[in-house]
Amino acid sequence: MKRRGVLALPAIAALSGLPWRSALAADKIKVGMLKPNIVTVIYWIAVKTGAFAKNGLEVAEYPVPSGQTAAGIEQLLRNDINFYLGASGEVAHANSRYLEAGKPLPIALIEGGLLAGSFFVLKNELKGKSLDELRQMNLKIGLSNPSSFHLIMFRAFLRTKNLTTNDFKWQFLTIGGPEMLPALISHQLDGFMHDALTTTLALRANAGFEFMNSNRGDFGQEAKLVPGTGVCGNLEFMKAHSDVTRRFAQALRDASASYTKGPTSEMVAIMSEWSRQEPAVIEAMYPRFDPRVGLTAAAADAWWDILGRAMLARGEISQKMTVNDVFDLDYVQQKS
Amino acid sequence: MNTVERITAIAAEPQISRASDDFARHIRLRNRRVRLRRFVRGATGVLLILLAWQLMSQALGLELLLPEPLTVLRNVVATLTVSDPHWLYGPNIYVHLSHSFLRAMAGFVSAAVIAIPLGLALGRITVLREFLMPAIQGIYPIPGIAWIPLAILWFGLGDAAVVFVVFATVFFPLLFNAEAGARLISPTVLDAGRCFGARGVSFFFRVVLPATVPYIITGLRISLGGAWRMIVAGEMLASQDGIGYLLMESRFQFRAVDLMTAMILVAVVGYATEKLIVGTIEKRTIEKWEVMPA
Repeated sequence: MKRRGVLALPAIAALSGLPWRSALAADKIKVGMLKPNIVTVIYWIAVKTGAFAKNGLEVAEYPVPSGQTAAGIEQLLRNDINFYLGASGEVAHANSRYLEAGKPLPIALIEGGLLAGSFFVLKNELKGKSLDELRQMNLKIGLSNPSSFHLIMFRAFLRTKNLTTNDFKWQFLTIGGPEMLPALISHQLDGFMHDALTTTLALRANAGFEFMNSNRGDFGQEAKLVPGTGVCGNLEFMKAHSDVTRRFAQALRDASASYTKGPTSEMVAIMSEWSRQEPAVIEAMYPRFDPRVGLTAAAADAWWDILGRAMLARGEISQKMTVNDVFDLDYVQQKS
Repeated sequence: MNTVERITAIAAEPQISRASDDFARHIRLRNRRVRLRRFVRGATGVLLILLAWQLMSQALGLELLLPEPLTVLRNVVATLTVSDPHWLYGPNIYVHLSHSFLRAMAGFVSAAVIAIPLGLALGRITVLREFLMPAIQGIYPIPGIAWIPLAILWFGLGDAAVVFVVFATVFFPLLFNAEAGARLISPTVLDAGRCFGARGVSFFFRVVLPATVPYIITGLRISLGGAWRMIVAGEMLASQDGIGYLLMESRFQFRAVDLMTAMILVAVVGYATEKLIVGTIEKRTIEKWEVMPA
């Protein structure tokens, strides 16, 4: 009986469409992610829809508090985790230091979100003011961290107008995403740059208006293509476990497919659980948010043209750096 | 010839005078040797630490996590001489240092102005002490950093919140030291003061305050260090400039050299302010009045 059971396992696996490996023993991987944070919800969709299990992976979760993006990268650099969801600019920063020291690059972006998902919300009193008027005002703008993706997007947008943040009388203050709305309501902030969820919360509370929205092309048309959610991995691990890496990337793409197919109510429930927000908030956020991944070479180039060049111009990263020092496209489905 | 004249005459004798000169020279030489020995030992300790740092950095290939001391030193010099036109963190280091200094001093001075008189009053007035000390001791264990969210809520994101956090941190060491100093004044000293006719304000300024000064100085010294520690934490969370912000920004840029440079500068400025401020107060009080702890 026992023997028959063992022999039946591969047959069950084949019938159910699972790879052999997953039916026998899943590969264990350590994945870090910003949590709670809506931009990393694709990870939770993959867990809930069984995408990791389907690809023969058993995931150990390593949450990193929102606003502490660098902490996840530090873990990735030490190989304490194998993959990390939630950072992109930080990958360039970290790799640049290794490039400057003449050392092999330690990490790379291997997948990315379909949309940039960058928003700039201002308090209602500032409605109707132009960027030129606003830059003369003493405004306090909240950011989740000093190397915020949204700030880099804004800096890249300013470059197209031959401006820098130094031309503004603004103060950029670091503040956690959950604190941005209370700070805006209590007039401690005049605005913030953050993700779709914080923006939705502010709009629902009538605390501010969407001054800029990357999905509308407010940061420039090419900026729409920039992958908002970065998925990165430790290159040493990926080299040694390329098959595991491929399956990890595939699991995230499978989760994206489930998001496309799945009933909205199910996805709302998953996103609500991950972000710890009420389903009504998630429903309101739905039109301005897309958690799916699907990095392409064109998106990587757009990332480099917009974010990479803004970082180069400020001297944040080495002048020797190229897009290939940030992205590893070996694991993406479509290279172009 | 009275006793004083006799001693003066004996001291003026050539043999005695020579022996006295020899003794003074001996003391001077001994002090010099002690100073030199201390310097050599201190410098050796520093060099050994630097050597261990250099070896660890090279042997373990940690240049990016633990940059070599020489690299850090070069960066400290480059930062101080403002030699990098594309410095990432703002106009120059002096802007950050001066903002941090002003915030630290605002918190430190405002805490000193309230805590020292209150501590002296608590030390000398039993009723007041019995009413207030339990409440103060109850608040004391709350770490300074725990005040940051409340400070932001009360004062908004900006300088006031950071200054308040410094205030909340340095207030207690100042208060407890002043209170202990005032409470533990020797009754003999107090009686002597009264016998010489000191009363009221004169009694406070001529007896209580000088006797308490060593404790107050200790409180100031501890608090000033605390102010620098807390300014860094506060600026990391609620500021867009200052040395704490610089540390935070360099961390997000993964620039360990800049991180260590900022840490060294905090240490140097903290040490210099301690020497300048507390040292000056010490010279003008303890050394001038020649007071010793009771």
